[in-house]
Amino acid sequence: MLTRDRLGTFVAVVLSTTIVAAALLLWTSSRPRVPDRFAGLGVVVQSPAATNPAEFFAEPVPWPAATAQELADRLGKLPGVTAVVQDRPFYAQPVRSGRPVPGLTTGYGWSAGAARLVAGTPPTGERDVVVGSDLGVPIGHEVTVLTATGPASWRVTGHVEGSAVLVAGTVAARLQPGVRAIGLGGDPDPAAVRAVVGSAGTVLTGAGRGALEPRADARLRWIGTQVLTATVALAGFACVFLVASTSAFGVNQRRREIGLLRAVGATPRQIRSTLYRSALLVGGVAAALGVLLGAVLALVLDGFLVDARFQPVGFTVHWEPWALAVAFLAGPLVSLLGAAASARRASRIGPLEALRVAEVEDRPMSRSRWIAGLTAAAIGAAAGIYTATAADVTDMAQFALLGAMALIVAAALLAPVVVPLLVRLLLWPVTGITGSLVRESALTGVRRTASTAAPVLLTVAFGVFITGTVQTSTAAYAVRRATTVDTGTVLIPNGTPGLTDAAAPGAPLPTQVYVAGASVAVVGLPTQSPGTALVSPDAAGKFGDSVTLTYADGARETLRITGEAPAGPVPAELVLARDVVRDHDRSALAPAAFTATAATTPGSELVPVATYAERADAEEDRLVWSFTLLLLVMSAGAGALAVANTLLMSTRHRVRDYRVLRLAGATPRQVARTVALESTLVVTIGSLLGGATAMLALLGSAGSLAAQVGAEISVIVPWPLISAIVAACLVLALVASTPSALRARPSR
Amino acid sequence: MTTGRGGADIVFAMAVSLRDVRMIYRSGTRQVLALDDVNVDFPPGTFSAVMGPSGSGKSTLLHCAAGLDRPTGGVVSIAGTPLGDLDETALTRLRRDRVGFVFQAFNLVSSLSAAQNVALPLRLAGRRPAAGEVTAALGAVGLADRARHRPSELSGGEQQRVAIARALITRPAVVFADEPTGALDTRTSRQVLDLLRALVDEHGQTIVMVTHDPVAAAMADRVLLLADGRLAGELTGADAGAIAARMTMLESAC
Repeated sequence: MLTRDRLGTFVAVVLSTTIVAAALLLWTSSRPRVPDRFAGLGVVVQSPAATNPAEFFAEPVPWPAATAQELADRLGKLPGVTAVVQDRPFYAQPVRSGRPVPGLTTGYGWSAGAARLVAGTPPTGERDVVVGSDLGVPIGHEVTVLTATGPASWRVTGHVEGSAVLVAGTVAARLQPGVRAIGLGGDPDPAAVRAVVGSAGTVLTGAGRGALEPRADARLRWIGTQVLTATVALAGFACVFLVASTSAFGVNQRRREIGLLRAVGATPRQIRSTLYRSALLVGGVAAALGVLLGAVLALVLDGFLVDARFQPVGFTVHWEPWALAVAFLAGPLVSLLGAAASARRASRIGPLEALRVAEVEDRPMSRSRWIAGLTAAAIGAAAGIYTATAADVTDMAQFALLGAMALIVAAALLAPVVVPLLVRLLLWPVTGITGSLVRESALTGVRRTASTAAPVLLTVAFGVFITGTVQTSTAAYAVRRATTVDTGTVLIPNGTPGLTDAAAPGAPLPTQVYVAGASVAVVGLPTQSPGTALVSPDAAGKFGDSVTLTYADGARETLRITGEAPAGPVPAELVLARDVVRDHDRSALAPAAFTATAATTPGSELVPVATYAERADAEEDRLVWSFTLLLLVMSAGAGALAVANTLLMSTRHRVRDYRVLRLAGATPRQVARTVALESTLVVTIGSLLGGATAMLALLGSAGSLAAQVGAEISVIVPWPLISAIVAACLVLALVASTPSALRARPSR
Repeated sequence: MTTGRGGADIVFAMAVSLRDVRMIYRSGTRQVLALDDVNVDFPPGTFSAVMGPSGSGKSTLLHCAAGLDRPTGGVVSIAGTPLGDLDETALTRLRRDRVGFVFQAFNLVSSLSAAQNVALPLRLAGRRPAAGEVTAALGAVGLADRARHRPSELSGGEQQRVAIARALITRPAVVFADEPTGALDTRTSRQVLDLLRALVDEHGQTIVMVTHDPVAAAMADRVLLLADGRLAGELTGADAGAIAARMTMLESAC
């Protein structure tokens, strides 16, 4: 039988296993996808990987054109090889009706083995192009195509299915001399291929070819994984918190019943194991339901994740039995963890409790509660101080989250200390019998008041902290961007990944080079002379007087380092001559041009600095914000549920009190008003404590951001959103508590 | 049975009057007749005890007479006001102003002090107790020095006396007591019963008490006996022994 006390645990566990199951399923489903152009090439040789850490998403070190050609020739002689395709992606974006075609930004060299014409002939001339039939340009007509140098007119010689931009092999070799992958058609023996390649590259077959996915997709999947990890962590934390507060509440309410069991001979151990058994049972049943719901949720979220761009296009759910099994085991585990503290407390209840006439509380703060609360506060403070001084952004985010969690736990545990003060302050203006009833009840049951407020505290604290962190840091980065620009207007891309030379001839041109096998960010400036480089202050120690680097086209060169680079709007470790960067990377695009005189060509627009500062990372900000809202909805949902649950429980246990009030002459309306005021009080206390806790944690993050940006950073919290969460909690609290109070009848 | 104008006058003069009161409880398809056309009057200034075997309907009678429960049929009047015409709020107001309650389980609000509990009915009615009114009420039950204690800090007898002080604070037309000594030992029972008796003798308070204790019932002016939802007899001025003997007869007849 599910009593209402257990219902709380049940719902909490169902909710968390649902989330864990869905998140794990999506996580295991998030696998690299073999790009379409390699679909028909069973074996692919990839150039050596860069030695950067994985979350850097560096492209592999390219082979120079000659090396690639030599390798391709040798591979072509292997038995079973019917085609050798040197993969040469470059920036090419067709323009239709004056606007760059969105999403179609990469061109490739024509190769008979990789694409199939539906009409026309393959591209052969300098300005020949084969496009997808859905572009709507008939064969023989001209089409404007943007490349890194600017717009030019190309003649369509043929159509393929879908969308593509394919040019003659020689043209591709000029636009992208370096090669990072060579695909082999036919049926070669991978071992033989490996023997030919040796240490010059990596041989990929089957699903392993997923490593060829665009770096942007890999990064997207990584972000998606981060989102899912955070979601699972949050779901777990919220659930343990919920189950803990629910069962602590249940034990508190049933002291007399437990005392009675002890009086008739139950040992503390039996009491404990009864509670554990019940937790296990409820957790198990709830987990089974949760896993089922999670599987359904995963199917629903699948499309949403792609739409929200947390996962690349083509992402679908794979059924991993172990993911479901882990989610199932999480249920009873979480339920046990949550019940642990209250089971310990319950087993300490003495048989005399049964004989107590009235429900009286122990001291609001037990010694263990003080110790646990202060320890959590200390961890929170330490994490906060570390956050405020952390130099690394990733570290900062993790420590800030840890600090916030610790502070929330501390606030929930130490709440009874401040509850009496808050109750008196908040009820100061409320006069009349309703006010005194609520005040006295809250003051006698400080611990009950605190534990009813705990879910609100959790919900509001998470809401304020998550949204506050995101908005504050977004604003901080915009401030940093704006401070590095000294012109009034900025030319930024519009519908393209970056600005072409035609749009911004002198704009800083970023690219990646490789130094000792590791990818290094570089920017080309027109003021720098060829053969020399400037090094950024951060990377000063990394290079000596000179640096030998490999460009994106595979060419190697040694540059003299002539000095330190000034801070610029495009972050980079090395500053090179712009023309050198362009010569070696024909796909490099400028993110923005900072000269007010820049001409407006297709795919660019002139905007004020403030707009540039906001928009520069707009896509990333949008991703982070959707992620934030997802987390917020989840935590707010779980919190609201807990609020309703605890209030429902507490109201039910207090029906006797309401009956006494009715017998003393209270009208149903007076009882309802008392209960409503009490619920409002509890929600207010929870919101205040939660908000204060989160603001404390936010101040740490703001301190760290201020140090990084070098400017004053004020904490930004979307208060309307927070108010909406509080209002939702309040409405739920009222709905959960008042009706049962209204039903309280004077007779039994 | 009284009829016509004379009947109406008698109803008016009574603190509580029940006319043809019938109470049927339904549980599933089964019907239980808890009160079967009961006619009874409680004149002002009298102390009545209601006795009967378990299941005889004495608690139902008390609940109906006090307006805590609505009978299936018949008319209950308190101080001349028929309760059937009142909605829940009006009924609560009438109870608050005209009826006092004393229960076996004391039913004090655990978070309020003795004084706050006593003042509760007045404050619920939106009145501020006059200076000294609450202290006087507590003094009248001998608890002037316990005003600031919470129920958990009081003995059972003390809690019951607080409940009596609370019942009296509104100067009700009638006080209903449901097994008021049920949870108390002999000595504190005696104190509480003496207190109730004194209220009738010295202040003309009307008291209706349900009990199964012949000693308690012997304190009343008259004892109404109830069996199977019907009035089975009435004793006046009987001592505890006579009441006990009569009860034994009633129980064996069941």
